[in-house]
Amino acid sequence: MELDRRNFIKFVAGGVGGTLLSPLPWKLVDDIAIWTQNWPWVPVPAKGKFSAVNTVCSLCSGACGIQVRKAGDRVVKIEGRSDFPVNRGALCPLGMAGQQILYNEGIRWKGPMKRVGPRGSEEFREITWDQALNELATRIKGLREQGAPEKLIAIDGNQSRSTVALMIQRFLDAVGSPNYLRVPREEDTHALVAHLMQGTHGPVPIDLENSDFILSFGCSLLDGWGGSGRMQSAWREFAGDTERNRTYLVQIDPRASRTALKADEWIAPLPGTEAALAMGIAHVIVKEKRYNKEFIENHAFGFDDWFDAKGKHRGFSRFVLEAYAPHDVEKITGIQKDAIIRLAKMFAGSRAPLAIAGRGKGLLPGSVYEFMAVHALNGLVGRINQRGNVLTAEDLPLASWPEATYDSVAVDGLNKERVDLAGSPRYPFSQGLLHRLCEAANSTQGSSVDTLLICSANPIHSVPCGKDLKEAFEKIPFVTSFSPFRDETSMMADLILPDHTYLEKMADIVWPPGLQYPLYALSQPVVKPLYRTRHSGDVFISLAQRIGGTVSDSFGWEHFEEAIKERVKGLYDSGKGRVGARGGQPVWERLDKGGGLDKEYPSFQSMWEGLKGSGCWYMPFHSFGRWAEIFQTPTKKFEFFSSKIDLGLRSYAKGGSAGDAASELGIVSHGDAISMPHYEEARTEADDKQYPLLLFPMELINLASGWVGNPPFLNKTLLDHQLEKDALFVELNPKTASQYGLAEGSRAVLRSPKGELTIRIHLFDGAMPGVVFIPLGLGHTAYDRYLRGKGVNPFDIIDPTEDPLSGQPVWWNTRVAVSRV
Amino acid sequence: METGQEQERKTKRDGWIFFVVGLIVALVVGWVVFPLLLYSEQRQPLNYSHVKHGPESGVGLECEECHFFYEDGSFSGIPGLSKCKECHEDPESLYTDSPEEAKLLEAFVEPNREIPWLVYSRQPDCVYFPHIAHVKMGEIECKVCHGDFASNDTLLAYKVNRLTRYSIDIWGRNIAGYKSNTWDRMKMDDCAECHTREAKEYNNACFVCHK
Repeated sequence: MELDRRNFIKFVAGGVGGTLLSPLPWKLVDDIAIWTQNWPWVPVPAKGKFSAVNTVCSLCSGACGIQVRKAGDRVVKIEGRSDFPVNRGALCPLGMAGQQILYNEGIRWKGPMKRVGPRGSEEFREITWDQALNELATRIKGLREQGAPEKLIAIDGNQSRSTVALMIQRFLDAVGSPNYLRVPREEDTHALVAHLMQGTHGPVPIDLENSDFILSFGCSLLDGWGGSGRMQSAWREFAGDTERNRTYLVQIDPRASRTALKADEWIAPLPGTEAALAMGIAHVIVKEKRYNKEFIENHAFGFDDWFDAKGKHRGFSRFVLEAYAPHDVEKITGIQKDAIIRLAKMFAGSRAPLAIAGRGKGLLPGSVYEFMAVHALNGLVGRINQRGNVLTAEDLPLASWPEATYDSVAVDGLNKERVDLAGSPRYPFSQGLLHRLCEAANSTQGSSVDTLLICSANPIHSVPCGKDLKEAFEKIPFVTSFSPFRDETSMMADLILPDHTYLEKMADIVWPPGLQYPLYALSQPVVKPLYRTRHSGDVFISLAQRIGGTVSDSFGWEHFEEAIKERVKGLYDSGKGRVGARGGQPVWERLDKGGGLDKEYPSFQSMWEGLKGSGCWYMPFHSFGRWAEIFQTPTKKFEFFSSKIDLGLRSYAKGGSAGDAASELGIVSHGDAISMPHYEEARTEADDKQYPLLLFPMELINLASGWVGNPPFLNKTLLDHQLEKDALFVELNPKTASQYGLAEGSRAVLRSPKGELTIRIHLFDGAMPGVVFIPLGLGHTAYDRYLRGKGVNPFDIIDPTEDPLSGQPVWWNTRVAVSRV
Repeated sequence: METGQEQERKTKRDGWIFFVVGLIVALVVGWVVFPLLLYSEQRQPLNYSHVKHGPESGVGLECEECHFFYEDGSFSGIPGLSKCKECHEDPESLYTDSPEEAKLLEAFVEPNREIPWLVYSRQPDCVYFPHIAHVKMGEIECKVCHGDFASNDTLLAYKVNRLTRYSIDIWGRNIAGYKSNTWDRMKMDDCAECHTREAKEYNNACFVCHK
C-alpha cells in the first residue's frame, strides 16, 4: 500500500463524501451567514428597558412638547406629545432628528478646550473646568481692574427672556458692561412694530387659528413660521374636513413654496414690494369705506389729516388714497389691480381677517415699514386684540430676581455707550446690532472689544453679517464660546466652555413667540450628560463667584435650577393658570371661556414638581377688546402715524425735523410718510445692469438654518435637485435660465458686489423669473463630514444695507449676476 | 511474483481502503471534532439554582416574581441586580453557606454591578419577538420554548458558537440539528413550524417577525 496519487485522490474523495454526510458544511454555511450579520460596523439597536420621558423641545422657541423614547439609557425616538397644548402631537423634522444632535460624536466638544494653534487652525487642547473658569474669570477681573468692564461683549442666541438669557445679561450688568447683544430675530421686528404702532411692550400673540381669512405676507406657515408644531397642528383645522368653516389662506410668496401650493390662493408680487401690496389693499378698504368705523374714529390716530404746532399733517387715509391706487400698485408689484381689489374686499368682508408679515421660518429680522404696512391692515378692519388677529398681552407673571448689586466700576461701565450703538439716537429702535460690533472691533481708534462671549449662537455662519464677523475676530483679543458643537464660531474661539445639548439640560421658553395665550415651557434633561460639559447657567454662576465682589453677590444661587425656580414662584403666586398638559379641546378654542384659573397645587413645591413633569404652565384665557386700555402710545390710540418714529427721528436730528434725520438713516420717502407705514424701494448700491437678478435666500423646514447644524437625517431628506454630493442647487425660472444659457444641473457662479458662490441650477416653473432662490443652512466650514464642505452659504455674498428703522441687515435684497462655469 | 490480475485487485482494494479511511476521518471530523472546535464553553457568572429559589423551595418564589410583564406589555426578561437585592441586600449577612451566594454579595451586590448573565435564548437583532403575544395570547407555557428551567438546580453549561456568538441552544445541543423536544432548538424554522401548524396565515409572513 502506498500513498500514490490515485490513492490520495481516493482518500480525498472519501473525505468529501464523509464531510457531506456530516453536519459540517451545512452548519458552517449557516454560521457564516450569521457571522456576516454581526460585523462591527453593522448598526445595532440599543438594548434595555423601554421608558418614555416627557419634556419640551428647546431647539427653537416654538416649544413643542416631545416624548423621548429610550431603550435603557439610550434615546431611540423623539415624537410630538399629543397632550401638549402648543403642538398637540406635531413635531418638525429637526425635532425628530434630535438624537443625532446629541449622539453625533464628531460635532461635540467633550470638555473645556483651549486653543493651541493659530485661530482657525482648529487645534485645541482639553483642559479642566477649573483651568477654563479661572482663565476667563481672571481676564474679566482684569478688565474691571483696568476700569474697562465694557470691553466684555456677549452675543446671546438663547430665547429672549429665558432664564439663561437673563442670567447672561445679569452677568454683564454686574460686571459693568452694557454690551449685551442678542442675535436679531423676526420676533424683534414684530415687537418693534407693536411698539411703534401700539406702544405695547411684551409678547405679540397672534390668534391665527381663530381667523377665517389669512393674508400671509411671506410667512412660510408650512416651513416653520410661527412654530412648526403649532402650525402643523393648526393646519389640520384649516385644511381638514372639520365641521367648522375652513379658513381661507392667501399666501403671498415669490415662489411656489409648500405653503403657497397648499394655500387657497397664491399671490406672487415682486419680492420686496409686499409693503406696496399691503398699501394697495389698504387703499381699496379706505376708498370703499370698509374699515371699522368705531375703531378708526375712537381708537386710531393719524387716519384723517391732523394738526399740531408744525401745521397740517397728511393722514393715513389720504396718503393711501393718493399714493397707492391699485393701478399704481400693479406697476410696482406685478399683481393685477382686479386681484388687489378682490383681496381687499374679501379681507374686509371676512368675519375675523388677519394679515401677518414675515419671511421664511420667522428666524431672521424683517423690514419694519413693510411689517407696519401689513399690520395697518389689521388696524383698518378694527381687529386688533380681537379673536383671530394680533393680540396685546402682558408678559408672564414670572417673579423677578432681586436686583443685582453694582460697584462703582460697574456703574461707570454701564453708563458708557454701547459698542453697537443700539438704542443711541442714531439707532433709537434697535436693541442689538451685530454688524456694528464688527465695525467697532475693526475701528482704528483702538479696540473697544476685548473679550467676546458667544452663547447658543453660531453667528459666523447663521447671521447675515457672519463673514464680516469672522474678519472682525482678528481684532478681538479673546473669544469664548459656550457652544456644545464644533461649529464655525467655536472653531474660531480661544476658549470653549461647552454647554450641554438640549436633551441633557433643563431650559425654559418664556411665551413661544406668536402663541396666542401665555405659556411657560420647562424642559427637563432626558439623559445624563455624555461628556464633561456643563450647563451654561451653572458656568455663569461659577464665573461670577470666581470674580467675586458685587458680581458674586449678584449670583447667590448654587445651581441654575434655583434661579429658574425663583422665577417660577411668580407663576405660582399669581394664582392663575394651569400646570400640566392634557389633550382634548385645543386651547385656542376656549380662550374666552374664562376658565382654567384654578389653583390645583397645595404648595409651590408640588406645583414645581408638576411643572417639571408636564413641561408647561399656561393660561387658557385672553381678554379680548379693551381698546380703551391697551394702547400705550403717546396718543393712547392705535397709531397709523407713529409718534415714536417721529420723536425718535427728531431727537436724532437734534431739534430738526424728522425729514432731516430720515435721509441720513437712508429713508427714501419724506414728509409724514416717514412715520407711517409705506412702501420704499429697497436701496442698494448694486447696479441693475451688472447685477440683473435678485438673490432670495429661502428657508426649508427640513434644512436647519439656525444655530444648530443640520443633522444627517435631514441631509437625507434633501432631494437630488437641492443638494447633490457637495453641490447646492439654486432655483431659477426656465425663462431666466435660458437667457443665460443655463440648463438643468448646469454649474454656475452667482456674483454679487460682495463676492461669489459656485452653485448648480435647478429649473423650477414655480420660481419667479428674475429671482434666484437659494436655500439657507448649508455652506458649513466646520462640523463633521456630514456638513463640512456641503453647499454654499448665501450670507457670504449678501448685500450689507441696513433696514432704516431697525438698523438690522437687509438680507432679502441682494442683487446678483449668474453665469455659466 | 503476483500476476497482473492479482496486482490490479490489490490496487483496487488499496484504493477502497484509502477511500474508506478518508470517509471515516471526515465523518469523525464532521461529527465529533467540528462541534468540539465550534463551541467554546463559558461559565455563567453565578451558578444560580432555580430549585432553591422556586415555588417548591423554602424561599417559595413564584416564577412571575422575577419573570413578569411590565404595564406597557414588555417582558422583564432576566431580572436585574435590583431584584436579587430585594433579599440579598446586605453583603455581610448570608442566608446559606453556599459559595455562590458569597460570590453574589462580594462581586455584585457590594460594588453594585449588574450580573452579566449569558442568555441561552438570545436571538439576532433582526428578530422581533414579543413575549406577551405568545404567553398571554398564544397561551404557550414557558418550557415549550425554554425547557424546564424551574427544575434545574444548576444552570446549564453555556456553550457559545465561536463564529456567530450565539448560544448552542439556538441550533440545539445536537450537532445534526435533530430535536426530540420543542425546546431543543430555537432557529427560525422552529418558530415557523409552530406558526404554520397553528394555521394562522397572517402569522407566517416575513414581516411578522422581521420588522
